[in-house]
Amino acid sequence: MIRRKVQIKNELGIHARPATMIVKTATKYRSDLRIIKDDMEINGKSIMGVMTLAAEHNSELELVADGIDEQYLMDELTELFETKFGEE
Amino acid sequence: MKILTVKELYQTMKEEFALTLITHPSTMEKTISTKYLHRPGLAFAGHIVRFSYQRIQILGETEISFIRSLDQNLLYERFKEIASYDIPGFIITKGLSVPEHMEYIADDMKIPIFTTPMGTDKFMNELRKYLNDFFAPSKTIHGTFVDIFGQGILLTGKSGIGKSECALELVERGHRLITDDAVKIKLRSDSLIGSSTNEYGHFMEVRGVGLIDVEKMFGIQAVRKEKSLDIQVELMPWRDTMDYERLGLRDNQVDILGEKVPIIYLPISPGKNVSVIIEVISMNHILKMYGYDASKVYTQRLQQDLQKKAKIRNANYEEKG
Repeated sequence: MIRRKVQIKNELGIHARPATMIVKTATKYRSDLRIIKDDMEINGKSIMGVMTLAAEHNSELELVADGIDEQYLMDELTELFETKFGEE
Repeated sequence: MKILTVKELYQTMKEEFALTLITHPSTMEKTISTKYLHRPGLAFAGHIVRFSYQRIQILGETEISFIRSLDQNLLYERFKEIASYDIPGFIITKGLSVPEHMEYIADDMKIPIFTTPMGTDKFMNELRKYLNDFFAPSKTIHGTFVDIFGQGILLTGKSGIGKSECALELVERGHRLITDDAVKIKLRSDSLIGSSTNEYGHFMEVRGVGLIDVEKMFGIQAVRKEKSLDIQVELMPWRDTMDYERLGLRDNQVDILGEKVPIIYLPISPGKNVSVIIEVISMNHILKMYGYDASKVYTQRLQQDLQKKAKIRNANYEEKG
């Protein structure tokens, strides 16, 4: 299991498009993904779950990947957050 | 291009239009290649330039009274010239008749003349409807066509995926079957109409059981003859690699006879209740038609929430900073 903290850098926060990108990335891998924000913990493969976080600009998330390909999943996800999901 | 023989038109519509053939039966060998009609008043007046001879020629009260006012010899010459074109046929409305020698020339040139007691306008409207339908572009699609809450839903997908079983379940839930297995789609003035390819009734094959008669089994309320096509739902086995629509923000469409039809790629897996999902697809489509798009509403609310929260967070930063 790997845990990693990420910060939301794109101005619009995790709206529909980034949420879809996260879920699509997560479902490519066999590992489980949990995302934690404050007192909320959701399944990273569920689109409604990710949107329910309503993670705004500058807020912080904790990603927890667990499974045989957890490292690859985590790397690709971190990359998404780093590149601001291709947004401003 | 489809061709309609005069004989076929006569056989199918003689009762509805009360058609009577006044020329020799052999004149019915002619064919019709266009859905348009023509009133040849100008041709009888001697203006034969741009004469739409390939259309069915309608002679109403105006034309007949003009023909009858013409000098016999002049009419004879004119009609011989008109009849030298390859005309599919004449139809005289209001139960009127033409001078006898016109009939002889028509017989000679193998052009049929019919009469109908119907009024010119009403008859032309009805005939246009029939011809439009006959000449409408059409194609047959492998699938099952059902009416769900008034929406025509075409279920497609590989053989054996469960289209018929799904339709059966929908019928049991009170929806209506138009046809199973082969759906004939017609383009009727910008809208697609689906129906059965034959007139045998509403039969269906259920794997392992054989043929069943849906109308007999579930009653007349479970079937209908035709329906406009509103949505196509492609049933497909669940594949992990397939990129399924998650939010419904993107509308996929397919082209059927030049018209755009919304399509939904629906992954199915054991234990999934497909018929309930089909009902949901129909209701969601109705909501969208009425201007309510759930995925847009939800994502808008999320965006507003994100903006509000970001504003508060950034204000807090500045205070601290």
